[in-house]
Amino acid sequence: MSFKITKMIDLDSIDFLVDVEAPEVAERFHPGQFVMLMTRKEGERIPMSIMKVNDGKISMYIRKLGKTSKELRDGITSFENVIGPLGHGIEEKKYGTVVVVSDAVCGHAENYAICEALGKIEGNNIISIQTFPSKKEIYPDEYLTKKIAHRHFITTEDGSFGDKGSYVTTLKRLLDNDVKIDYVFGGGKLPTMKAVSTILAINNIDNLFTTRQMMVDGSGMCGSCRLYIDGEMKLSCVDGPMFDSRKVNWTRAMKRYGMFKKEEKIADEYYEAHKGGCGQCQK
Amino acid sequence: MPKIKPRVPMGEQPPLQRIKNFKSVPYGYTEDEAVEEAARCIQCKKPSCEPACPVNIGIKEMNLLIAERKFEEACLLVKEDNSFPACSGRVCPQEKQCEGDCILKKFDEPIAIGKLEAFIADWGAKHKVEVEETIANNEDKHVAIVGSGPAGLACAAECRKYGYAVTIYETLHKAGGVLQYGIPEFRLPKDIVDAEVKKLEEKGVEIVLNHTVGQNIYYYELVSQNDAVFLAMGAGAPKFMGIQGENPLDGVYSSNEFLIRANLMKAYKFPQWDTPIDVGKIVAVLGAGNVAMDAARTALRLGAEEVHIIYRRTKEYAPARAEELHHALEEGIIFHELVNPVRFHGNDQGFIDYMELVKMELIEGEDGKLHPTPIKDSSFYMGVDTVIEALGTVPNRLFLDRAPEIKRDKKGVIIVDENHMTSVEGTFAGGDAASGAATVIKALGEGKRAAKSIHTYISSHDD
Repeated sequence: MSFKITKMIDLDSIDFLVDVEAPEVAERFHPGQFVMLMTRKEGERIPMSIMKVNDGKISMYIRKLGKTSKELRDGITSFENVIGPLGHGIEEKKYGTVVVVSDAVCGHAENYAICEALGKIEGNNIISIQTFPSKKEIYPDEYLTKKIAHRHFITTEDGSFGDKGSYVTTLKRLLDNDVKIDYVFGGGKLPTMKAVSTILAINNIDNLFTTRQMMVDGSGMCGSCRLYIDGEMKLSCVDGPMFDSRKVNWTRAMKRYGMFKKEEKIADEYYEAHKGGCGQCQK
Repeated sequence: MPKIKPRVPMGEQPPLQRIKNFKSVPYGYTEDEAVEEAARCIQCKKPSCEPACPVNIGIKEMNLLIAERKFEEACLLVKEDNSFPACSGRVCPQEKQCEGDCILKKFDEPIAIGKLEAFIADWGAKHKVEVEETIANNEDKHVAIVGSGPAGLACAAECRKYGYAVTIYETLHKAGGVLQYGIPEFRLPKDIVDAEVKKLEEKGVEIVLNHTVGQNIYYYELVSQNDAVFLAMGAGAPKFMGIQGENPLDGVYSSNEFLIRANLMKAYKFPQWDTPIDVGKIVAVLGAGNVAMDAARTALRLGAEEVHIIYRRTKEYAPARAEELHHALEEGIIFHELVNPVRFHGNDQGFIDYMELVKMELIEGEDGKLHPTPIKDSSFYMGVDTVIEALGTVPNRLFLDRAPEIKRDKKGVIIVDENHMTSVEGTFAGGDAASGAATVIKALGEGKRAAKSIHTYISSHDD
């Protein structure tokens, strides 16, 4: 099987936008769902958020990190597998005033998809807050949620544009200014989600945050993405990927990212040494 | 009673050699060895081995045909009752089935029925022996099968014989279910699984990969597009001990994750293949079933220095196939009886560091059974780098949650009648999804029997 890449652009120094033909996924997609991506037959199954579906194609933001992004950079033209849509999508209904927040690829994608879907529903007032490391990493306008949200804020971690800090700063400011918020969706970095969960708990605001963990199959078999929600073990792939941030045990969730650091480095070095061109292997 | 010759030993890779590779442990019988072994069969008037086989293979005749070097006939005979003898010959717990009831067991070792079955299947594959099937013309009738594990494959093979158009839906990107993702290469080479799947496709079975029924295709769609549905999605969800310190710790795997990484994703070929697997120097595997042995032996092959099996009962209660336990011990895996972990402790990098265990004793309960019971004040510590929890599996709730009309028991196991039909007319189920975690051969048998019921059902509804 092969899924053709139809578009790939640099959003900034850290992220790509990739469009791929995956009509079955596009047809069944709901905002919040994800796919498992395999770049090649020997590839890993990598969970990836969907930002937009259009005409049988899905759009994804992909972080320029590790091997997969190097394969993209080096010009692969198709993916071996695009599997999904997986996980639960959000309920597409009237919520009232909705704030959608994000500070990484897995988060910005959902932000876009949710703003687009909920913005079409009468009675929803959509406020989107997107956080980038600094001014130079801010996506081009058309890939931000600027045009599809009713109000749009950008924050930067170094303060070079907009509020300084994460979306939590802006969200707090809205709350301080007595903006009545009915629901919050979000995703991105775990520490930020942990921080925002406290604010949401204090203000008693219903919410769903994408809490995707390491996955292998993405269908409930491996248990790698296990999380503790209200003390109960849940799997991010089949029970999520979005959970009420107030119920997630964030400390436990944050500890699970170091497991394959060593191997990631090996994979990266191996790829660099074997991507072709040096001619060593022909000798 | 004539003197019985000893069993013909099977050539195997020596333990110290095989723990460095993923190749098959047994070499398989040569023709002469198979003939000699089959000739040990005393051809009982009423063979007790056959009823002990979940698919009732004509074992007595198979042995006779092999002894007479009629390999092709033997192969065709076996395939009449079992479409996947190369797999079952390698993974069945024969000592609890056919070989367990072999009359020779009273005097000597039983006939190596499993090894002969694998031999004759491999001989057939090598010499392209195929059962000539007259496929009825029923292509206007459609059967959808959920899951491409043993039950699904067996049902598909049979339904195809009845002539139905058959489509299998598989969640993963490779077909074969547990044969593909669970059982390691050194026990069941994946070439064999791939060849069986390919044969089915050549017979006209359509396999749709990457489709999870209940997720990216729905049960009601299958019902509306097919004349019958067979649910064979197995018991694919892992169980965890649920002991303290479990989740935040890196280095703690479910056996499912560990084996999926190693087998399906070929992590043992990392970095040529992309999926990593991290195995520390000291590995502890919790549990003593086949999956535990598979995980332990895989860990050893991935470079672990010490692999420990942690089991709360004694060795004799270990549910693993005798051969797997034997192979594991031969390979240097250390078996700890009557111990149970109670707590995991991590280091400051979030990796597992050591675990706390208690000693157990077997105490007879009111039910007359022996129950493993913790001994008071017996806790001790064990330093570990990797823990693999092989505590069995339960049905994956993904599908079931989205098809509530299908009745199942408290554990999520689908309830079926004697014809394998579920509470929904026209929907059948078999394999682990309908009987809880069991064996490959049981699933093969259920798949086959369900196909028969499906045929009866579709025929009776033919207008």
